Amino acid sequence: MLPNNGPEDKIMQKYTTSFLGRDCPGVVAAISRLFGEAGCNIEAMSQTMLCGEFAAIFVVGAPESLTLDGLHDFLVAGLARAQVDLSVLVRPAIGAQWGENLVCEPFVVTVDGPDGPGLIGSMSRVFARHSVNIENLTAILGEERNGQALFVFEVMVPDSADLGRLRRELDCEAQKLNLRVSVQHRDIFEAVHRVSSF
Amino acid sequence: MLSEREVISTLNMLRNEHLDVRTVTLGVSLLDCASHDLDLFIANVQAKISRYAAQLVRVCDEVGARYGIPVVNKRISVSPIAVAGAPFGPDGMVRICQALDAAAKEAGVDFLGGFSALVEKGFSNGDRALIEALPEALATTDRVCASINVASSRSGINMDAIAIMGRQILATARKTAAAGGMGCAKLVVFANIPQDVPFMAGAYLGIGEPDVVINVGVSGPGVVKKAIDRAMEKGRNSHGQPLTLLDMAEVIKTTAYKVTRVGEMIGTEVANRLGIPFGVADLSLAPTPAVGDSVGEIFQSLGLSSIGAPGSTAVLAMLNDAVKKGGAFASSSVGGLSGAFIPVSEDSSIEEAARKGFLTIEKLEAMTSVCSVGLDMIAIPGDTPPETISAIIADEMAIGMINHKTTAARLIPVPGKGPGEEVSFGGLLGKAAIMSVPKGRSGGFIDLGGRIPAPINSLKN
Repeated sequence: MLPNNGPEDKIMQKYTTSFLGRDCPGVVAAISRLFGEAGCNIEAMSQTMLCGEFAAIFVVGAPESLTLDGLHDFLVAGLARAQVDLSVLVRPAIGAQWGENLVCEPFVVTVDGPDGPGLIGSMSRVFARHSVNIENLTAILGEERNGQALFVFEVMVPDSADLGRLRRELDCEAQKLNLRVSVQHRDIFEAVHRVSSF
Repeated sequence: MLSEREVISTLNMLRNEHLDVRTVTLGVSLLDCASHDLDLFIANVQAKISRYAAQLVRVCDEVGARYGIPVVNKRISVSPIAVAGAPFGPDGMVRICQALDAAAKEAGVDFLGGFSALVEKGFSNGDRALIEALPEALATTDRVCASINVASSRSGINMDAIAIMGRQILATARKTAAAGGMGCAKLVVFANIPQDVPFMAGAYLGIGEPDVVINVGVSGPGVVKKAIDRAMEKGRNSHGQPLTLLDMAEVIKTTAYKVTRVGEMIGTEVANRLGIPFGVADLSLAPTPAVGDSVGEIFQSLGLSSIGAPGSTAVLAMLNDAVKKGGAFASSSVGGLSGAFIPVSEDSSIEEAARKGFLTIEKLEAMTSVCSVGLDMIAIPGDTPPETISAIIADEMAIGMINHKTTAARLIPVPGKGPGEEVSFGGLLGKAAIMSVPKGRSGGFIDLGGRIPAPINSLKN
């Protein structure tokens, strides 16, 4: 099924592979074993969990002879054999990151108030209009909050963006949904809570 | 990625616990404005203040918005006018004070400090002129604050200056009688005044300071109180043991660290944007009359029925020390007063304790031996004899001199009012019930005048 990947088969290409499905012990072990068998080298990875679901992104260096479809089929078959319930998506890796040539500043936007539909959509549309990239989004919902929600957007704001206008537009959207918004430079959170070193 | 706890805790400090930067104070040296000509001197002073202060309010608001932390007050401190304006007489000093008031209004700051004299060992001509000018100067201006340093641990206590200040405080109160003696709320008498205080009314720019400098005053009694309340609710420390005062000191210290970091970050950025060096962050628990922004409430959170109850001095000693320890770890630029203030009219809980009789001037005086300042914003009867005011000040200065610390007295004799009656100064200055002064006469002692010598530095007991 796999091409011959002897020592002469150099790593020449990169794939981004994502996994999504039921979390259980051994999930990461199964994925990393399959990459090893395919001759792939894991170059970067990130994983998270949400409501019992496992999600992970791997960027791997693959042998020249290993095609995108070939890697996908190999991973799907291997996970099925290991009885790990994960969906797999493989894409060619993107070389460059968004905003590499942009001067950006990290901000934290929190939105809180009654939980309801449309909140993330309306906020993220404002971000998109201002070319603000969401790097991390966390929703903190809890029984203690009594139907209240707190969304934390960690965003990169290009220097060219008008921060005052961004803030006003976020406020405007939030008021429609009876929410409160705060926009703060990320440094303040780190300054207050972390002991930094040089 | 930030943790859930980091985000929620920071939001709570801002929204529910009154965390703010209480003041960004621009220090401006006026020594290079010197002239023998009053009009020229005033023109030089106004030009220099305007040059550096024009952008102060705008930049503070921008930086405050960037971090989501309001900079509540923007202020200016200047070189002691008794030095900068030494050639001028009392009338000239009044005109200088009025010019400073105009400069403060033009810059959009709420107070300007530095109408000051340093007389711990004696008077120069400028010192005498400024002190003589105090009642008229404070009555004809709104935003200028005055401070007179009458004692230090190295020089002793200038009792002649204290005798004069007793009379001048009364005269200032009478000149501002319509506003309840409000002029005295802008006048402080100090021992060991620091050169870099950003807080009013004691802010001035010392002779050893840079030409211009940004000093920041950070507050946060509400943040400290809520942190103590949260710990008390849990009832146990991180090791599962029942809470003791050792844990409480740790909570206060950690909270002071967080608050100081905020102040240093904002102060540094304001200074960078203005192209002015950053001086100090002064972490002082400075209350406002708002509920939840009170130093007095911290005493209740720590188990006292009210500030003033037995145990208050011990609580204040622990609070003041823990605040300094947290602040010193957070920033190498901690300065100013750094500790806890107990201004009666400016703190709703302290004011209530005084009104209900739990807190007397005698107890306040004892507490000032362990806190960062002194007898602050205390309304006393308008018919208090000047020598009694002087003697109360002398007692307070003695505490500072012997203990090598700053102490101060900001007493307000309220014309036409007696013990138990109320006076309101409005805004941050709050309201207060008039407190009885200690009984007994001190005239003979004050009349002796002269100087109490500086204390010995060995044989410490």
